[in-house]
Amino acid sequence: MTTPWDDFNQTFQAMNLFRNRMNTIFNDFDQLSNFNQSWLVGETLPRTSLSDTGDNLEIFVEVPGFAKEDLNVKIQGNYLEIRGTRKAKIPDGYLVHRVERENLSFSRSLTLPHDINANRVEAALKDGILRMVMPKSEAAKPKQISIG
Amino acid sequence: MSESTELMSRTDNPPKLADQLPTLIPEVDIFENDDEILLYADMPGVTKDSLSIKIDNGKLLLSGIRRFPASGAFAWKEFTNAEFRRVFSVPQTIDFEKVNAQMKDGVLCLHLPKSESAKPKQIEIKVG
Repeated sequence: MTTPWDDFNQTFQAMNLFRNRMNTIFNDFDQLSNFNQSWLVGETLPRTSLSDTGDNLEIFVEVPGFAKEDLNVKIQGNYLEIRGTRKAKIPDGYLVHRVERENLSFSRSLTLPHDINANRVEAALKDGILRMVMPKSEAAKPKQISIG
Repeated sequence: MSESTELMSRTDNPPKLADQLPTLIPEVDIFENDDEILLYADMPGVTKDSLSIKIDNGKLLLSGIRRFPASGAFAWKEFTNAEFRRVFSVPQTIDFEKVNAQMKDGVLCLHLPKSESAKPKQIEIKVG
């Protein structure tokens, strides 16, 4: 037997389902960007990820085929600029079947969420990923407040 | 025929770790000369150890997995852990014993030498 109360519950259940779906939709969206990158603005830009580890900001940049001489990084305050040029290498005497790796030079500038102490930035290039550990400037670091 | 056996072998041996990762298609350059086919593939973040190259039944499978140590809270994330995966058809004339692969700066360089019998031959014309 169905009472009006059951109808009421059912409606709420449906709404809950919808809410859960909405909660995960942004994760799905993030993943989608990996499958189909074509809608991203400026496809030649290298993709980056930025992580906040408390004292530091860490940035990861996809730069396959770039040697460290090919990359140029500038930081000022919370402004970060990465430039890179990769040499085209079509080998001599070869017939070309397919060339997809065309993005030979790029420039990307980013506004970071915090000011950076540019003197203590560490940058490392490994397996085509540039990783930079950027210490936040003193004013931007989290502080422990003792209650007196 | 070959398609169905491939499906079968996949269910026998599911790549468990790779199953959960999003799959990316690596961008490639392919060149050829008389001696070999040369392939470059961008696979940023893939190490030598996590890369597998399989040649079977005229199919070349490239598969590389990248993983980043999770740390901190991400302000934005334009790329993640992923599997780079792409299948190519390769001619049977490749000398599979001599295939040579190098991984440098996240770029795979794969040399696929042609077997002796497949190389073009210069035929000398004798004056009789």
